[in-house]
Amino acid sequence: MSNGTMTDDLHAPVTTTLTGPLPRRSLAIVAGLIGLGAGAVVPTYLASDFVLRLGSEGLLLGLLALSVAFLMNQAGLVALGAASVYGGAGYLFAIGMSDWGLTPTAALGVAFLILLGYVAMLGALIVRTNPLAFMMLTLAAGEMISHAVLLEGLRDYTGGADGLVVRINGTVLGIDAIHFADPAKFWSLAWTVAVLVGLALWGVGRSRLGAVLRAIRENEERMRFSGFNTFLPRLTGYVLVNLVAAIAGFLHVLNAGFVSPESLGLSVSTNTLVAALIGGISGSLGPIFGGLLFSFAQDEFGARGLTQLLTGVAIVVFIVVFPQGVVGGLSGLSRRLGWRREGS
Amino acid sequence: MLAIEKLSVSYGSVRALSDVDLEVRGDGLLHGIIGPNGAGKSTLLDAICGRRRPTSGRVRYCGEDITQRSISWRRRQGMARSFQRTSVFQNLTVLDQLKLVAQHLGDDQLDDVIEVMDLGGYLEQKAGRIAYGVQRRVDVALALIGRPRLLLMDEPGAGLSATETLRLFGHVRDLVRERGIAAVVVEHDVDAVFACCGMVTVLDLGRHLATGTPEAIRADHRVIAAYLGTAA
Repeated sequence: MSNGTMTDDLHAPVTTTLTGPLPRRSLAIVAGLIGLGAGAVVPTYLASDFVLRLGSEGLLLGLLALSVAFLMNQAGLVALGAASVYGGAGYLFAIGMSDWGLTPTAALGVAFLILLGYVAMLGALIVRTNPLAFMMLTLAAGEMISHAVLLEGLRDYTGGADGLVVRINGTVLGIDAIHFADPAKFWSLAWTVAVLVGLALWGVGRSRLGAVLRAIRENEERMRFSGFNTFLPRLTGYVLVNLVAAIAGFLHVLNAGFVSPESLGLSVSTNTLVAALIGGISGSLGPIFGGLLFSFAQDEFGARGLTQLLTGVAIVVFIVVFPQGVVGGLSGLSRRLGWRREGS
Repeated sequence: MLAIEKLSVSYGSVRALSDVDLEVRGDGLLHGIIGPNGAGKSTLLDAICGRRRPTSGRVRYCGEDITQRSISWRRRQGMARSFQRTSVFQNLTVLDQLKLVAQHLGDDQLDDVIEVMDLGGYLEQKAGRIAYGVQRRVDVALALIGRPRLLLMDEPGAGLSATETLRLFGHVRDLVRERGIAAVVVEHDVDAVFACCGMVTVLDLGRHLATGTPEAIRADHRVIAAYLGTAA
C-alpha cells in the first residue's frame, strides 16, 4: 500500500504513512493520475454501451463493497444492511423531488442529511454490540426498511411494489441530468467517484482513526483500559461507510431513473458482501474490482440461464483459491516474487 | 489515594466480595493483595478499575467517588491496570501499540517506559510473536504509559518463573518508588509479595482479613490459619 497501490495490509502498522523515496512517491502519484484519467476515458471509446452499463453497475456494486470491506477490515464488523442505505438514498431523492417539491440538488442534500441522521441513530444503537449481533441487527434494520416501503399506507410516497419513476429536470450539482443516462458519461462519473472514494477510505485507513479502529478490533478492552472511547470511533466508521453506500445509491437512481424495492433487498446486501470477499477486503482496489467482476460474471451466468448455480460455484472457487480476495492474493503473490518491497 | 468503603460484589447469588474496606496510600509503596483461590482478589481489582460494578459500597479515588465512572475515564485520570491474562495488541508491533496509547494519553516520555520495562529489543516485533514473559512486560508497559497515579496489577507473575516474577516485581517496585505513586498488586506468589510490597492486605472468602506490613501479616494468627499455614 505504501508503494502506491491501493491494497492494504490487514494489520497495517499504526505509524506507517506514504513513506519511501520521493521520486518513487512522485512516480506513484503520476501513475495514479494517469490511471484515473485513462480509466475514466479509454473504456468510453473501446467498449459498447452495453458493456459500459454493466461496468457502471459493477462500479456501483464496488462502491458498496468498498463500504462493507472498510468496516470489516478496519473495525471487524460485517454489515448486512448496505442495501437499505443504497436504496433508501434513491427513494428519499425521488420523494424529495416529487412530493416535497425540491430541486434535484436540494433533494439530494435533504436525502443525504436524513440518511446521515438515520445511520447515526442506528449506529449509536448497534455499534456497541458484538460482531455477530451487529451483523444481525444491520440485517434486521435493512429488512424493516425494505418492508416499510411496501406498506399500503406509504404507497402514495413509495409506489409500493412498483417503485418510483424518477424524473429529473435541470441539473444535479451542476451536471445536466441527461448526462447521467448516457452510458459513456456515467461510466466516467462512476469511475471518478469510485477512485476518489477509494482513495479517501484508503487515507482514512492510514489515519489515526484507522489505527484506533484496528486497535479496537484487536482488543477493545485494552483500548478502554488505555483511556480510549471505543464507541465514537466505531460510530464514526459506521456513519462514514454508510455515506459511501448513500453515494452509490444516488448514482444508481440518477443513472437508472427509477427506484424499486429490489434496490433495498437483501440480495443487494449479500451481493455486496460477495463482491467484497471476491475482490479482497484489505484495500480499496479489491472491493471495486470485486464489484466489476461480479457484475460481468452475473451477466455471463445469466446468459446461460444458470445464474444462481454458477454464481455459487464461482464464489466457492474464488474464496478457496483466493482466501484474501483476488487483489489480496495477487498482491501477496507479487510480494513473494519480489515485485514489491517486503512489508510494504 | 484510593479508599474502598464497604464494597460488595455479587455474581448472581454468589457473593464474591462482602463489605470490604481498604485504603491505599500514594507513598511509593507496593500494596499487595493476597489470599486463597476464590478470596475475591481479582474481583476487588475489577471493582476498583470499573470492569465490574459493585453491588454496594463505594470506590473513592483522590477524594472523589468514582464508583459510577467509566473505565476510560478512570484511565485518563491516572488509574491504570494490567491483566492476569496478558492483554496486548497481538497483531501490532510493540512500538506501534505503545505509541498509539502514548499519543492518546499525551505521554512524551515513552522511552522511559520502554527502558524501565526493558523492551528496547522487541519494538519492531508483533506482540503475538514474542515470548510470554516479554508480552507480560508489554502489558505492564501499556499500563505505565501516561504516568498513572495508581497502578493496579492482577497477578503480574502469572505464567512466569519465580525468577522472572521477582524481576518484574523489582521493576515495578523501583518505578513506584521513583515516581511516588500507588500500586496495588494481586499475586499468588507470597514470597514475591513479602519481598517487594510495603503493605499487604489479605482477603479470605470475599472478606477483608487483615492489612499490615509484611512482618505483621506473617505474624497474624488469623492469616496463618486461613491462608499462610506453614508457607510463611
